[in-house]
Amino acid sequence: MADAGLMDRMFQRIMRGLVDTGVAPHYAERARALGVSVEEGRQLLHGVMEAYPIGWLHPETDYIASFPPLNNLPTQYRVTVRGEQRWFAQCGFEATSVTWLFPGETVRIDAPCPDCGDPVSVEMRDGQILWVDPPGVVGHLNYGFGASRGRPSFL
Amino acid sequence: MNLFRSEEHARRWPSFQAKAEHGFITLGQLAGFFGTETRRHMLDADYLSTWFPRRGAERRAYLERIGKTTPFWLGTPDP
Repeated sequence: MADAGLMDRMFQRIMRGLVDTGVAPHYAERARALGVSVEEGRQLLHGVMEAYPIGWLHPETDYIASFPPLNNLPTQYRVTVRGEQRWFAQCGFEATSVTWLFPGETVRIDAPCPDCGDPVSVEMRDGQILWVDPPGVVGHLNYGFGASRGRPSFL
Repeated sequence: MNLFRSEEHARRWPSFQAKAEHGFITLGQLAGFFGTETRRHMLDADYLSTWFPRRGAERRAYLERIGKTTPFWLGTPDP
């Protein structure tokens, strides 16, 4: 396991990169800033993902697919801040946590209802729900938490 | 883990699992579940080493507080 301080720094740079640009940085972009070689940066990335198992790399690659609450791979949960839609949430549940990445900002989540495709929209600021459309929006966990359920937890 | 326009929409969803009838959570509860203390520190320099390890216990405590104590929600093995 890599140095905890370096792991924290890599984690923060990935999260900050996602927040600032909507895209997770590649490990090679971060390695020099962290004072490590590119290969050590790659190993550091794997160490971070192991320590943060609610996110994942795209299979058989070193590319970040999911780094909750945001997703590097687009999902149906579009996130808009300051009028710009450049982010995606990992899932409908994590979408309600994105607000904590943008303190003081109104965060809007737009997604199609998986049943009918009609819009589901939520606006939040600093953890508070400001507006919901339609008013009856609910969250639903289809497989249950825990590895024993045998399906990805984000479903 | 999806958002639906209503419970009726979720039940009509072709992928809806019969076992997931108790998988509903209100939006307010969801905001609370994903707004516990550790979530407010995701941008902190020591989030991974200090805050993330506390997340599991915090989530469990919140779920128990809102009455979601089944293995389905807690992630514990089925009895």
